[in-house]
Amino acid sequence: MEQVDDDTGEVPAVGASEDGAPSAHKYLAVRDHLARLVAHELKVGDAIPSERTLKQEFGVSRMTIRQAVDALVTEGVLVREQGRGTFVAPQRMDFEMRLTTFGEEMRRRGLEPTTTVLAAQTVEATPDIATALEIDPGDEVHFLYRVRSADGTPVAIERAWMPVALVPELLADGAPTSVYDRLRELGAAPEWGEETLAADLATDVEASLLGLSAAPAVMRAERRTYAAQGAVMFSRGCYRGDRYSVWVPLRAPRPALVPRRRGDAVTEEDSTERAPVGAGGGRA
Amino acid sequence: MRSDDTTGQAAAILAALGGVDNIDEIEPCTTRLRSLVRDAGQVDVGALRAAGAYGVMINGRVVQVVVGPHVDLIASDLDDLM
Repeated sequence: MEQVDDDTGEVPAVGASEDGAPSAHKYLAVRDHLARLVAHELKVGDAIPSERTLKQEFGVSRMTIRQAVDALVTEGVLVREQGRGTFVAPQRMDFEMRLTTFGEEMRRRGLEPTTTVLAAQTVEATPDIATALEIDPGDEVHFLYRVRSADGTPVAIERAWMPVALVPELLADGAPTSVYDRLRELGAAPEWGEETLAADLATDVEASLLGLSAAPAVMRAERRTYAAQGAVMFSRGCYRGDRYSVWVPLRAPRPALVPRRRGDAVTEEDSTERAPVGAGGGRA
Repeated sequence: MRSDDTTGQAAAILAALGGVDNIDEIEPCTTRLRSLVRDAGQVDVGALRAAGAYGVMINGRVVQVVVGPHVDLIASDLDDLM
């Protein structure tokens, strides 16, 4: 909602890109412009406007354009193909949280993933699992309990629950090598998710499964994975603290949306209601 | 994921949050709309779920509505409606 004050076409960015700071607004303007194009006008695989076009349109330096494009490439919104140009990335789902599997992540690091299946069975959902999967307690869920290793070393323990109602055949051929792949086969492709991370100490059982003697630090990850049909998997991972770090791309928050009317005319309603309600704990 | 699909959803979400008059601000996060409402009592959780929310967390006047990755589209529509 806030506008960059200068009129884009006219102002030459000479000097602005030199020391970086003054171009920050301009870079964001270009980034937002491109993000909007991707969201509303371009399709997957379309090329974005050329650097030259953007330079003219925004009156900024090539470096500023590159900075804006780089940001969107990092977010996974755009992909660069060498010698060809920059295009709208295949999907928007994995920017910020990567919805990947253990196997995919390990192979990307050049490690060989292996899995020991401790349990693969159909059970009744406990209340917490039911809440996470948006089903009723007692509903049937597939349960998978696995120890994941990288190059033969156990690094993570994962328990996962999938609603039987959505994917009845999930365990038909035994424990799948990759649950995400199996979900894709069953027409419930993971599209997005939310994950919560927390530091903790391993339990004795976890320490022994991970082959560690003393109670070591671990990272716990709770993830809800969604397909078009809804919550398709809830998982609890326990990762060795000494073998894992989390990589999280960050972007500046978008400006908050504020009702327009109130911004224009602060009226009686505002002054009377603010005081009593505000006590409840407002803005951080 | 198209804009016209989310317009109705945005309107339904706004109504379930108690309408424009009940909104102090709405901050679009990656998969959630984080709203600061004036009166949490006017928030209709059932209606939010019916509008396609995957989850609703209420803490004081802060109402988080999990809507998934097309939050940006919904936010644009909300901006038009507010």
